[in-house]
Amino acid sequence: MPKEGTVPVITLHCYATLAAYCPPEGELAVPESTDLAGLMEMLGIPPGEVKLRFVNGKQAKDDQVLAEGDRVGLFPPVGGG
Amino acid sequence: MIQSETLLARMQALTREEPCDGGSPLPTLSEEHLSALSRETGQGMRELQVLALRHGITPARYLRNFRELTSGDQERLLSSRAGLAGLGGLGGHLLESLVRMGVGTIMVADGDRFEESNLNRQLLSERDTLGMAKTEAARRRAAAVNPAVEIQAMSLTLDRQGLRTFFRGADVLFDGLGGVAVKKLLLECARDLGIPVISAAAAGWSCIVTTVLPGQSAPPDLFGSAGGAELSLGCLAPAIAVAAAVQCSEGVRLLCGRKPALAGKLLAVDLSRGSFEVFEL
Repeated sequence: MPKEGTVPVITLHCYATLAAYCPPEGELAVPESTDLAGLMEMLGIPPGEVKLRFVNGKQAKDDQVLAEGDRVGLFPPVGGG
Repeated sequence: MIQSETLLARMQALTREEPCDGGSPLPTLSEEHLSALSRETGQGMRELQVLALRHGITPARYLRNFRELTSGDQERLLSSRAGLAGLGGLGGHLLESLVRMGVGTIMVADGDRFEESNLNRQLLSERDTLGMAKTEAARRRAAAVNPAVEIQAMSLTLDRQGLRTFFRGADVLFDGLGGVAVKKLLLECARDLGIPVISAAAAGWSCIVTTVLPGQSAPPDLFGSAGGAELSLGCLAPAIAVAAAVQCSEGVRLLCGRKPALAGKLLAVDLSRGSFEVFEL
């Protein structure tokens, strides 16, 4: 559990083109009650560029609120072969 | 055509005991003897390999497939039909592995010819195959590596109806296509035909792989609908090779009646960080 007064720190892994928006160390402090949509806005990812989003290994929706220690994975459309 | 008992007797006479890793020596038949038997009897290489396996004789080319695969598994693979859509980066590596594993029939569809920009990653593209139809290169490669494998080729870019017609009867489908829109079409084709499909895509150093079984559905946004990341990042050979290797493993497991590892899951690989993650879909 986070200490009182601290903000949640999440681990972020942005794949392919989204890597450009991700802090290089992959860890990020987010304001309390930030959801996935808020996180993407914070990172400056244009809406519509993220096709799949995961929190702690499971698919998540934009309104999922992030908590301390969450692992977030974001994917753009990928179709190369 | 000679009687099968006579053929078996000829085969047994040509058999040699060869050491097999981690076990007792195996009765083995060399490629040279199988080819000679095929010429002599008019029997196809695949039929001869199957006959040998059924009688406890291992074609020497499969010695290192054992013991992870049993002779029953090997026989099952030889009797299987795999559909392979696309013969580019993923498709070329898939073809190579499937042929070496001994998957008996591979139905390949690709309407393209090789061009220079394919050389960075596409196994079947060589200086000498530039301009050649990808299906023709696939046929030549399969014949050169394992003549027991039959290639059924369609040199057309297939639409939805075409995919459904061509891949009817396949036991499993492999997605070797490039481009988000066509990949979506193949998923729909697999769903309509009730065939498992092993899909993958790559961009730059990253790739994703998933297995979709009949009755399951992939997320509608799995590949997006336009403008995949590969358009700006390109596609690098290592990411393509990793994805195709995982796809082949999944397919072989399915063809051998085993559980796939990635049904309802997404393997995401980012080789720029050495990271492999599995997500639930």
